[in-house]
Amino acid sequence: MLSEEDLNSRVGYQLPGGEYLLEPYKNWLTNDAVGAPNDENDFAHPMFCYYAALNTMGVSLEELFAIFGATSDDGVMFGEAEIDIKKPLVPGSTYAVSGQVTGVERKNSKKLGVFDLVDFELNLHDGNELVGVSRNSFIFPRELNDDDQ
Amino acid sequence: MTTNSPTVGFEFPHYDVGIVDAEKMKTMAVLLQDPNPIHWNLSAVERLGLGSKPINQGPNNMAYVVNAIVSWIGGIARFRGLKVRFHQNVFAGDRLTVVGRITDIDQVADGELATCDVQLVRGDLENSDIVMAGQASVIL
Repeated sequence: MLSEEDLNSRVGYQLPGGEYLLEPYKNWLTNDAVGAPNDENDFAHPMFCYYAALNTMGVSLEELFAIFGATSDDGVMFGEAEIDIKKPLVPGSTYAVSGQVTGVERKNSKKLGVFDLVDFELNLHDGNELVGVSRNSFIFPRELNDDDQ
Repeated sequence: MTTNSPTVGFEFPHYDVGIVDAEKMKTMAVLLQDPNPIHWNLSAVERLGLGSKPINQGPNNMAYVVNAIVSWIGGIARFRGLKVRFHQNVFAGDRLTVVGRITDIDQVADGELATCDVQLVRGDLENSDIVMAGQASVIL
């Protein structure tokens, strides 16, 4: 388990990011898969704020977990997820994705034992314009309480 | 906002997501580049002790709530955001409904911004089996 000092040192860690092409066929298939109508062609499904961000943060989830000394076998869980749309996303556009770890906290609960809560934020830009933000948190279980072992 | 616009406390129409389809999870696994086999491989689900049905991707559950909001408000352009916490797994075969109500209205540069409490509920609404909950924001 990372020391609390090591954990805290991860705040500000810059994710490599990259560019995401929001391909129209992916928007169509996504709408079809999640039950959204395919009759609004001007704007992409708002969840592409999340898809583009996570797809293009520049590291895989496994690599992200490794930054915090964990693997997917450690039972890492989603905490919260947020999309903040500044401007609707448009199929056919390319967005620049950048992001960083914004917060960490070591906590202890009766249910999970000791765990680390890690927040990260990914920004989507169209040129110089911020069009969307994806904020997410992961829960890294560390040690079960004696009662749970 | 017109005189007929909804106010704080307004409950938007229940949105019937329908039955969660395992085949759609396969499409989304490819689109999301999500290698987690719990979305398509029953053996993996069972080996991990997570039940006997494929588990829906969390972002799919978010998408259903977005669909509900966009359907109510009448267009993607007025959708502003969604923040959720995942409470339970959603399985293939689950029937889901989105419910929600306005909790706050603020004046912003492009109109009236409504904040809504939203819930994704499994099965009959009276059982209150909430699988995901959070807040959404839209321009009225």
